[in-house]
Amino acid sequence: MSFNEWKRRIAGIFSRGEAARQLEDEIRLHLELRARKLRQEGFAADEAQYAAQRRFGNRLAAAEASAQIWQISQWRAIERLLVDFRQAFRSLRKAPGFTAVSLLTLALGLGMNVAVFSLVDAVMLRSLPYEDPDQLVSLWEENTKQQPAQFSNSGTAFGAAAPAQRTPVSPANLADYAGCGAFSGLASQDGASKSLTGLGTPEQLTGEEVSANFFDVLRVKPALGRTFFPEEDRDGAPKVVILTEYFWRSRMGSGTDVLMRSVTLDAQEYQIVGVLPAGFQSPNQLTTPDRVEFYVPIAYPQELLANRGDHEVNVIARLRPGMRMNQAQADLNVISANLGKQFPATNRNIRTAIAPLRDDLVRNVRQALWILLGASALIVLIACVNLANLMLVRATRRQHESSVRMALGAARSSLVRYFLIESLALAGGGCVAGLALGFVFMRLLVWLAPQSIPRIQNVTMDWQVFAAAAAVALLTGLVFGAAPAWQSSQAKPAEALKTASRGTAAPAQARWRSVLTAAEIALSLILLVGAGLLFHSFVRVSGMDLGFQPERVLALGVNLPQQRYPNADRRLAFFEELERRVTSLPGVESAGFANRLPLRGGWSSGIRLEASPDVLRTPGCQAVSPGYFETLGIGLQHGRLLVASDRHGQPNVAVVNQAFARQYLTGADPIGRRFQRSQQPWVTIVGVVNDIRRSGKTGEINPQVYLPAAQTELYPVHLADFAVRARTEPRQLVNAVQHEVWSIDKDQPVTNVRTLDEIISRSIDERRFEMVLLIAFAAIAVLLAMIGIFGVLSYIVSQRIGELGIRVALGASSGRILSLVLRQAGGWIFIGIAAGLGGAFALTRYLQSLLFGVQQIDPWTYGAAVAVLLAVSLAAAMIPARRGARVDPVRALRYE
Amino acid sequence: MRERDEIPPGTLEMLILTTLASGPAKHGFEIAESILSISDDVLQVEEGSLYPALQRLLLKGWICGDWGKTEENRRARFYRLTPEGRKQLEREVERYQRVAQAIARVLASA
Repeated sequence: MSFNEWKRRIAGIFSRGEAARQLEDEIRLHLELRARKLRQEGFAADEAQYAAQRRFGNRLAAAEASAQIWQISQWRAIERLLVDFRQAFRSLRKAPGFTAVSLLTLALGLGMNVAVFSLVDAVMLRSLPYEDPDQLVSLWEENTKQQPAQFSNSGTAFGAAAPAQRTPVSPANLADYAGCGAFSGLASQDGASKSLTGLGTPEQLTGEEVSANFFDVLRVKPALGRTFFPEEDRDGAPKVVILTEYFWRSRMGSGTDVLMRSVTLDAQEYQIVGVLPAGFQSPNQLTTPDRVEFYVPIAYPQELLANRGDHEVNVIARLRPGMRMNQAQADLNVISANLGKQFPATNRNIRTAIAPLRDDLVRNVRQALWILLGASALIVLIACVNLANLMLVRATRRQHESSVRMALGAARSSLVRYFLIESLALAGGGCVAGLALGFVFMRLLVWLAPQSIPRIQNVTMDWQVFAAAAAVALLTGLVFGAAPAWQSSQAKPAEALKTASRGTAAPAQARWRSVLTAAEIALSLILLVGAGLLFHSFVRVSGMDLGFQPERVLALGVNLPQQRYPNADRRLAFFEELERRVTSLPGVESAGFANRLPLRGGWSSGIRLEASPDVLRTPGCQAVSPGYFETLGIGLQHGRLLVASDRHGQPNVAVVNQAFARQYLTGADPIGRRFQRSQQPWVTIVGVVNDIRRSGKTGEINPQVYLPAAQTELYPVHLADFAVRARTEPRQLVNAVQHEVWSIDKDQPVTNVRTLDEIISRSIDERRFEMVLLIAFAAIAVLLAMIGIFGVLSYIVSQRIGELGIRVALGASSGRILSLVLRQAGGWIFIGIAAGLGGAFALTRYLQSLLFGVQQIDPWTYGAAVAVLLAVSLAAAMIPARRGARVDPVRALRYE
Repeated sequence: MRERDEIPPGTLEMLILTTLASGPAKHGFEIAESILSISDDVLQVEEGSLYPALQRLLLKGWICGDWGKTEENRRARFYRLTPEGRKQLEREVERYQRVAQAIARVLASA
């Protein structure tokens, strides 16, 4: 077909009406001229006209054939489809109830799925934003025996905890791992927090300490300057820093002289050597909402490199191209085994493990997300079942119509086509509505989701999601359109027309619908039980007694830099001054300080009791001020608390908790007993306080030792946390406390300002998120099931209206009719519940790891779920049943 | 019913082009009349089929139609050959003759 011809064709599309009129004129002229000619040849006038028409042939056919020549042949099919769709829309509009319910069903199912899938995609499936991301692995060490005594300032082991045995990597072992041929590079990384001074108000910034090759392993090139040199990654090397684009832009105005400048971090000058590209996020940054602003060399001190027992850093490695995970793991196993033989004291029980970096980053939320995805798949399933049910009802209702069409000569194939197109039109509408709803759900999910979910801010809907949704919708349309289409094509016109004007359902169809409704109930019950278990578990968690009173307590971090506060006494002096000043502020009930407050990390150390010197115990140890106990509301059991006079030069004392006495002294009174931390001085226990759950509501109760902060020689950790108990709203005190800090040291930033209540609430964020989502899913499922029950029963009642009318006429009470109809629904409701219970037993097993204090087979939850579903099902059944019971026999019989 | 030969496909188009090749532009009825006169009524067509054929030729760009008035002052579309149509007619005639000669040779050798 030539180009000109196409042009004419396309122009023809727009002048179709005009062309038809012109042709009409031509034909009319032709007929008149022919008739005149025939008259001249001797025909009578009317005879001539008739003969002219006969000679011309079928006028309409000629016009149609002419018009068709201009049509593009493929378009003919499309045009016909459009006509069919228009017809489908028209007939759907005539059944607004059915259409609305079907669309809502589809939209809810698809929307939920689209939203959850977007989340799962962004968090778990999408590649990491680095070059060849599949080569990147996370490497850690595992203690195959028991946890060694160690420092741990990372206080965030809430929610679904990582495997308990996992530890960071000992830098001393790193060189051995780097020697493994499986890796092209092995980089280490650790969090760092430093106070920035000299650029506006002092501020505590989050940064990372990284090995010199960190950026090479990630294959990131700085936008300006360079990455670190290996010699800069050594203890005592000149201080250098690489800034993020954010730091450079927001704090230095994107100045081009940035590489000539330096910044002051923790009172030390750091020469700027590079600026990272905009949008760069380190793997660690992906898991935290705190903005990482700078990178400094990790520069291990010599003593750290000499001690293989000190597990400090996170490790990211890049596999050589073509290297498989299990090969690399096998190589590492050999290395660990050798290290274990060489250094049995520290490495005997240490195993090295790797996992793809992407999977490792999401290890805490993986299971929860899979469960959510599974739950949303159940929703889609329910939606589909519901849709099939509705379609079947509709097809049955239209059996009469189908029969009439067939009797009038419609081909079976065109009936099938008609029903298929109708369900496709529905699916298309549902798809659009589902995507729109999904977008809203997605926004809602992101807003609800705890910030600790990696890459949660990157959740978007992309074309993949659109394509998947469209595919699901199309499939739904085809599959669930096929059944009624087939059914309608089986219509036997003669029989159908013989029965009353409304076709009655064949028993097989009624059975199908009951099975489908039972399936819906079963699926909703599974979701209800799951949601119930999470809810019960959440209630348990929320109700856990922490052992201290977090209400009205404000916590602040004050990280005194080594440079200006080189020793423990200087730090103590700062905190004692701060405590003195803050206590006298109006609105402050009490104040205290410690190395770390509960919920914010802590320290544990190996100790030996005088009574049993051979056994090394590792209780949690905290250095606290006398005001600590009052401020946190930790009660004294007996003996005495720490007091202001427990200072340097006085007898070394400590307070322990009940768990200490229970676990280490088999319940004996600890007061007067002495213990020792390795070669440190002996400490006498003077009091017992009550147990607390230091790490939050789901945390364990561990033995605790409280050392007086004023006896600085007793502890190696830095004082860094300050607590204020307010008389009213603790947040109101933030500025005043900050002001006091600055009036002691104008360069000292305050960090991590939170009320303990906020921290607690945040620590159960993930649980709350999972619970809220599952409850929402269950609610939607129940809603869909209600729609299903309602729809089917309404239909049945409308089918039986004549029969019910006769019964009423013969004297059946409305209560009898009600129970008659309800009994019909009751059967499949019970079957559905039984099947659902079985499904719940089988599936909630996967929930186990998300549960706290609740067994997977929790009779209360199961009972409640069944009760809720029963009530809801009966309510849904009640509406049509009551309509049946109120049937007016006269009208019903006339209707027949 | 009068004995009537089926027109081989494509022939009608060729006949229309031939009709329009000489003389003034013609409207539909005139084309039908002149085809009847050339073909001695043997190829009497169902006159209605003339119009789809005209549309096909319009689409191909071999003829074009202009609206004008007949002698009796009636509105009609007058068709004439385009240069492309003339070329097409030559090609068609040439092809037809080639085929006709080939058939004649076959018949002669039989």
